[in-house]
Amino acid sequence: MISLRNVTLAYPNGVRALDNISLEIGKGDFVFLVGHSGTGKTSLLRLLYREMAPSYGEIIVDGIRVDRLKRRRVPALRRHLGVVFQDFKLLTDKTVWENVAFAMQVTGAHTKDIMRQVPRTLDMVGLAHKSRMYPGELSAGEQQRAAIARALINNPKLLLCDEPTGNLDPANTTEIMELLQRINLKGTTIVVATHNQAVVDRMRRRVVRLEDGRIVTDEERGYYYLGLGQSQILSG
Amino acid sequence: MDWGRVRFFLGEVFRNFTRNAGMQATAIGTVAVTIVLLGGFLYVRAVLGGVGHDLLQQIRISAYLQQNASNATIAQLHAALLKDPRISSVQFVPKSVGLKELRKETKGVIDLSILTKNPLPDVFRVSVHSASDVPAVAAAVRRMPGVANVVYGKTIVRRLLHLGAVMRRVGIAVIVLFLLVAGIIISSTIRLTVFARRREIAIMQLVGATSAFIRLPFICEGFLDGLLGSLLAVGILAVAHAALWSRVFRALPWLHIDPRLVNTPLFFAQLLLVGAAIGVIASWISVGRYLRT
Ligand SMILES: Nc1ncnc2c1ncn2[C@@H]1O[C@H](COP(=O)(O)OP(=O)(O)OP(=O)(O)O)[C@@H](O)[C@H]1O
Ligand SMILES: [Mg+2]
Repeated sequence: MISLRNVTLAYPNGVRALDNISLEIGKGDFVFLVGHSGTGKTSLLRLLYREMAPSYGEIIVDGIRVDRLKRRRVPALRRHLGVVFQDFKLLTDKTVWENVAFAMQVTGAHTKDIMRQVPRTLDMVGLAHKSRMYPGELSAGEQQRAAIARALINNPKLLLCDEPTGNLDPANTTEIMELLQRINLKGTTIVVATHNQAVVDRMRRRVVRLEDGRIVTDEERGYYYLGLGQSQILSG
Repeated sequence: MDWGRVRFFLGEVFRNFTRNAGMQATAIGTVAVTIVLLGGFLYVRAVLGGVGHDLLQQIRISAYLQQNASNATIAQLHAALLKDPRISSVQFVPKSVGLKELRKETKGVIDLSILTKNPLPDVFRVSVHSASDVPAVAAAVRRMPGVANVVYGKTIVRRLLHLGAVMRRVGIAVIVLFLLVAGIIISSTIRLTVFARRREIAIMQLVGATSAFIRLPFICEGFLDGLLGSLLAVGILAVAHAALWSRVFRALPWLHIDPRLVNTPLFFAQLLLVGAAIGVIASWISVGRYLRT
């Protein structure tokens, strides 16, 4: 699903956010990106949805050569994937229903399909009963669920999440992660950049650890800290 | 036809348009002022151009013949004049007729009965199709055999031709300036809307909307600014036209203004087109610039 070969990203100001990264992520995988602040997690995700282009290296997402993608081809790539952020990025003057439908409307979907797809997706994230509310009337967890619904509305094969639980309390965090897991079970590939140790340690999924723009470890069933579960750290 | 899609689109345009009503009014007002000035200018130019044209058409070249010119020479000259494609009409005025006319014109002022013989030469009065040909035709006629002298309103022709050229140039400069100002104001208005909608735009880009799709509502907004502004302007011009036209006629009958000089419906339609075009072009540029960065 995702393939990076010798990818380097230098920002215009000279900061080398990613340094010669190679990474393979298969269809249906669930991957955590962890590492200290400023190690390049967000930068890596930005490369995948072509918010940025790499300075060097080859990137393939769902069969699309992303590193060489022309500007006018970017919308086609974006329709193949969904992106979720820490701050939800919902439109405050639109209802939940409208926010989710928006992603279909602006990509030229037929009204018939929108009317069918939006309730289904809202139902999946558990927001069907709040579809007429505005983001300001929702809890943080519900807002994030609305954002996930919007990211999923066009049936992407890949979901990129940058700190999806960064603004949530533990209960909401758990709910959101369970939702992501359910989505993953349906076959969607999921990449989550996170600082949340509890989440990573509880889920025991693949963990890719970044340090200073390089991948330092890549474990199949990893912990937030290298080789250690939360309980082991606490107990000494 | 997917009416849901149409409704969504119109909703977006309406939202854009009403979000910044004050700025929208400014843009529409500026377009209106611009188009009124532009329209008024073109209108006056068309009218004055017509008047100038009339004046120029009344200018004739008088070719005075040599006193000893034979009938054969006169006939040849007449034929030569008629052959010139620039010349529209040729009138021969024999000296006897010339004297008669002179007597009529000077009756009671100068007593011409003291003349013992006719001192006037025979004359060809020559009119040309295009006023700008007058100097060249006059020079050509001057060189023809049998012609003693050629007279026409040299200064008035030169001045009118010069005036026409100056007006055309000033007109183009003024029009370009007006259009530029209106374009800049619309483009700032659209930029404000774009700025106010930057979150929506970011989401659209994130979920894979094409830039053509993102652009369209803003282009429509610019189009509306331009169209409404020029509609307002056309309204103002139409009222002014109705109020002033007949008065100008009565005040200046000697101008021979032809009411068909200005084809008002076509003229107004062109102004609307210009207004809408400024709106579309200005918004196109300002959204395009935003999307590219
Ligand atoms: N737009 C930018 N321009 C220049 N440098 C940037 C930009 N964005 C990020 N950086 C730099 O790139 C490096 C990696 O940043 P990035 O945001 O990818 O880190 P991160 O792992 O997501 O951090 P965090 O966990 O705090 O979100 C940092 O040194 C950061 O300062
Ligand atoms: Mg980050």
